[in-house]
Amino acid sequence: MRLRLILGLALLALSLLLPARPIAAADRMVLRGNYYREASNRVLAPEVMLTKDLPDERLTLGVTYLLDAVSSASIAAGAASVTGGDFVFTEIRHEVTAAAASRLRDWSLSGFFRYSTESDYRSRIAGASLARDILERSGTVSLAYSYTSDEVMYIRANIRDLRPWNSTGDDNRLQVHYLNLGYAHALHRTVLGGVNLEAAFAAGPMDNPYRKVLNGLDESHPLTRRRLAPSLFARWAIPRARLVLEPRYRYYADDWGIRAHALEARVHIRPLRHLLLRLRYRYYTQTAASFWREDAAYGVDELYRTADPKMSEFHSHTPGAQVVVELDAIVRRVPALHWLAGAWIEATYNHVFQTTRFGDARLGNLAFSMPF
Amino acid sequence: MSTLLPPRLRARHLAVAVAVAATQLACVTVRPSERQVLSTPEMDPSRDGPEEIWHSHVESAREGGFGGHGAAGGGCGCG
Repeated sequence: MRLRLILGLALLALSLLLPARPIAAADRMVLRGNYYREASNRVLAPEVMLTKDLPDERLTLGVTYLLDAVSSASIAAGAASVTGGDFVFTEIRHEVTAAAASRLRDWSLSGFFRYSTESDYRSRIAGASLARDILERSGTVSLAYSYTSDEVMYIRANIRDLRPWNSTGDDNRLQVHYLNLGYAHALHRTVLGGVNLEAAFAAGPMDNPYRKVLNGLDESHPLTRRRLAPSLFARWAIPRARLVLEPRYRYYADDWGIRAHALEARVHIRPLRHLLLRLRYRYYTQTAASFWREDAAYGVDELYRTADPKMSEFHSHTPGAQVVVELDAIVRRVPALHWLAGAWIEATYNHVFQTTRFGDARLGNLAFSMPF
Repeated sequence: MSTLLPPRLRARHLAVAVAVAATQLACVTVRPSERQVLSTPEMDPSRDGPEEIWHSHVESAREGGFGGHGAAGGGCGCG
């Protein structure tokens, strides 16, 4: 009871301190906790995002910080404590993104820079995008480009010695050029559709320095990779049923011999004014890379070797559900909580049934967003 | 009529028909006063952005077909 009173007073004090003013759409804070779990890996990735209009949509600035904590079962899992024992190995990655966007009449321009660091990997990505509304804003054409420069290192476990990982090349830098061309169009007053084409060219070490094939040889992947992925989507609203249907399809091909299809269907349902439910099903299938061997028994003279399960032929099924509660419903009943106007809470859960060695996985997040 | 055509030509006719239909749809303009439904949150693809980035990060670590948002990290075997 006393706790409730203190909480009530604290909320009231906060509501008096915060001004009740019209809120710009982009002045927003998002706290998000991302979660991924499979048989031998668990990832916890909390993140905080802030966006601010200065003074309006002509200039919007944003910053995001993400902490990625990857916990894996050690190679000694199950060993007796006298032999060093069983332990869980945790790797921490920090990621910071700064972004700026501007909207001037029919044009949108944005840019970002992302820096990511962990014990044996550093990544820098810079990107820019340009979009233009056409046909009385019924359509939007967009073009985005990003450049990635990663430093790949490896740690010799016995002496914690950090060394550059060059793979079969002479540089430990992985560079990626990524291009995205998109078009979205309002096909009807209840239908939105779009097409996208993504292309990427990567050059540098792309194998895992710690992973070995069956006879103890290092992995050895090609030093370049060309990737192409056309995709299309639609959103069809059925207002009477408070439904939005969203089919998606994505095809993928690269010069390592992988061809993939991703089919997805989403149903957005709004049973109450401030409650949004989303059901999702995704089917993914891919062929194996040309150098994948099911027995992983490569010879010393073989140029390319891999033990990476994602290079194999496999498929996965992912059903999922999401609940979004818009807190305006509470604000209408408790005016003192006016500072929560426009805030929402989101919970998502997906279960991945996949046929790779990674096994089935759980994927989800919990998010809270509020304007300020 | 089209059933009399060889399969290759039928496929071409179908492709042309789809292209023409797509072109016609692309000429459609929806007036601002008719965009009430299109402006709801569930019709806005950008609302899913942060979640898509997370899914994309996971998919790029577990699937051969890339996530598409640009991936960071990978030394742990995630990449």
